[in-house]
Amino acid sequence: MINSVSSPVSRRTVLRGAGAALVAGGLGACAPGNTTGSDPLPTGKATTALSGELTIWDRTGDLYKVFDKAIASFTAKHPQVKVNHLAVDINAKLPATLISGAGVPDGAFYDDSLLTGVAPHLHDLSQLIEQYKPDIAPYKLGVVTVDGKVVAVPWDLDPGLLFYREDIVTQAGVDPASLTTYDALLGAARTVRDKFPQARPIHLENDQFLAQLWIDMFANQQGGAMIDAQGKLSIDSDPYRKALTWLDTVRSEGLGTLAKYTQPTDLQTQDKGTQVFVPWAQWFVFAPQQLLKASKGKWRAAALPAWQAGGPRAGVMGGSSFVIPAKAKNPELAWRLYEHLVFSKEGYTTVYGPNTVYPGGLNTSIPSYLPALDPDTPLFRPIDALGGQDLWKVAVEAGKQVPGGYAIPTWWGKAVDYFGVNVQKMLAGRLSPDEVLKTSATQIQKNLMGPS
Amino acid sequence: MVTVTEAMAARREARTAGRRRVKAAPYLFVAPFVLVFAAFSAYPIFFALQLSFTNWHGAGALRVVGFANYRYLLASPDFWQSMATSGVLWLLVVPAQVLLALTIAVALRKARFRGLFSAALIAPFVTPLVAMAQVWIILFDKDFGAVNHGLTSLGLPAVGWLTTSVWAKVTVALLVLWRTTGYAVILLLAGLSTIPSDVYEAARIDGAGAWHQFWSITVPLVTRTLSFVVVIGTLTVFQLFAEPYVVTGGGPFNGTRTAGLYLYKHITNSDLGLGAANSMLLVLMVLALSVASIRLLRSREDS
Repeated sequence: MINSVSSPVSRRTVLRGAGAALVAGGLGACAPGNTTGSDPLPTGKATTALSGELTIWDRTGDLYKVFDKAIASFTAKHPQVKVNHLAVDINAKLPATLISGAGVPDGAFYDDSLLTGVAPHLHDLSQLIEQYKPDIAPYKLGVVTVDGKVVAVPWDLDPGLLFYREDIVTQAGVDPASLTTYDALLGAARTVRDKFPQARPIHLENDQFLAQLWIDMFANQQGGAMIDAQGKLSIDSDPYRKALTWLDTVRSEGLGTLAKYTQPTDLQTQDKGTQVFVPWAQWFVFAPQQLLKASKGKWRAAALPAWQAGGPRAGVMGGSSFVIPAKAKNPELAWRLYEHLVFSKEGYTTVYGPNTVYPGGLNTSIPSYLPALDPDTPLFRPIDALGGQDLWKVAVEAGKQVPGGYAIPTWWGKAVDYFGVNVQKMLAGRLSPDEVLKTSATQIQKNLMGPS
Repeated sequence: MVTVTEAMAARREARTAGRRRVKAAPYLFVAPFVLVFAAFSAYPIFFALQLSFTNWHGAGALRVVGFANYRYLLASPDFWQSMATSGVLWLLVVPAQVLLALTIAVALRKARFRGLFSAALIAPFVTPLVAMAQVWIILFDKDFGAVNHGLTSLGLPAVGWLTTSVWAKVTVALLVLWRTTGYAVILLLAGLSTIPSDVYEAARIDGAGAWHQFWSITVPLVTRTLSFVVVIGTLTVFQLFAEPYVVTGGGPFNGTRTAGLYLYKHITNSDLGLGAANSMLLVLMVLALSVASIRLLRSREDS
């Protein structure tokens, strides 16, 4: 059941809310509040029984239903706790709510890529997370750490994998096991096209936001990121150049299908078998299970190819974490809930394991909590849409290889207007890889980072 | 004994007191509106104005930066590109909408089943946009969309409706037209119903044809409604957010990033000072465009 927010709000809060709404509508603005910023949340285990009321936001859709059941496992242990679990368009509503201070939830599920933009409005969870640090995937720990403070409870890991149409690849005489490098993948794409002239085998992402996320995955795989350890812009660098040059080769040789993820062209070409290779995050598996028809059961997943023989075969694309707003009314209780979901076997098993929403389990990502990543103890079952393949094993092995030391700059979301758009232009043949990197670096430096 | 003068003075006083009581009443009647307006419109607008001179990001103290936000925006190619995109959409939407709505309204004026047609016309306006946007995406897909299928079956080339920055504007404009024209028709039907039928009768007796009646009677007498339609259309286009957000995400190549969508980016990025400055500039632009449109139509009405 979806509950409504019933927390009382002050008159000033209402006014701030009205102001924030008006800014969004093109007229007004909002009042500055006494936001506390990254206040550290108190540590220490509660000695008395937990009690109180919580408001938790999760994404709408099936994921909400899954979390609903996981929250029930928490309230079963703590019957004095009441959780108002709401399905919300979080990306659209959380920033405005954090700023206005009206109807702020005690905790919310939030995209990692957008985390840095709201970090000043979140509790500093560093002390609470400290005990779990050695057990968190290094990549994920880097993502939830902003200015040295852990601002979110790390949730899932979304390793990149190579999804491919096994039937087409086999008919073309390509051995999937040979796809160990991107050069080998390029060769395989040429072979497939020689066999099937209509084929444009490799997916080229045409959505500017997803394209940026996608190329960051390729860069992350090579240990790169948009900023270096000192926070300096590092987009004009080898990892990005290598990834863009490869994609430009795919484009210029006519080996790619330019499409937006899960839009009609994308789905139709995948079903028809003209699009054969999709290097994408684990959550691509949603498409064969829910959206594709003719090709259901014909897809398989493997580790990403390496950029150099013997190099890392994993990168991350996307992911989400749980945030506790600085203005939450019951932050300690929210932490206890998330601690249960993320760091207890009962919690993560309830989310990822088989349930009434996903009878085979939630298989679009894996936990970022390393003790949960045992290849021999799968949380979700083999997937029919992948011909019965055990995706758990493939994803866990990839997840453990994801390079750490990755940081998301505060302006990552804004950079889509520059880097994401320039990549779109390159895939349309209007810019070269070098032009993309140099133009994007100049634009980001000028508009988002200020003078160096 | 009360003198006549005293009695007159007493009556004057009573009348004055009554007038005072009467004078207070209107203020009491409008007070609820004024209070709500002050709290939810005037206060946020003035606050937006104040914020536009700060670099507030939603947390911490306000830091005044003078006109820096305005300078940044006015020198920013992104800002001007978003304004230009909205300008192009205005040209694609508003004139076509006015012509289309007026034509349909005149045709429907004496039509049978007018209520049924009116209900059908308003349906797109009340249909959930997200659902329609998905239909639009499927219809206008370059490779598998019904629109291109129709074009190619006629021997015409396929168009990149959602993949080129020029045609993506047209696709978004078509969606806006489809959604909002019905509402404009309803407004114009209301305007047309105020024109007395004997005016047309007199014109017919004088030998005026249908076109002459339309141009010399209908258009001048619905000019005020047309002005309203133009202003509403202008506001819609310059605040346009949902359509490009759902259909194109502002792409390709930022080609459909409207002024409303650009403003939204500041908000989601917590750049509230910049967002407020952008709002103020947008308000000025929309105000100028609306006033110019009204003046243009009024001058025709006067002549």
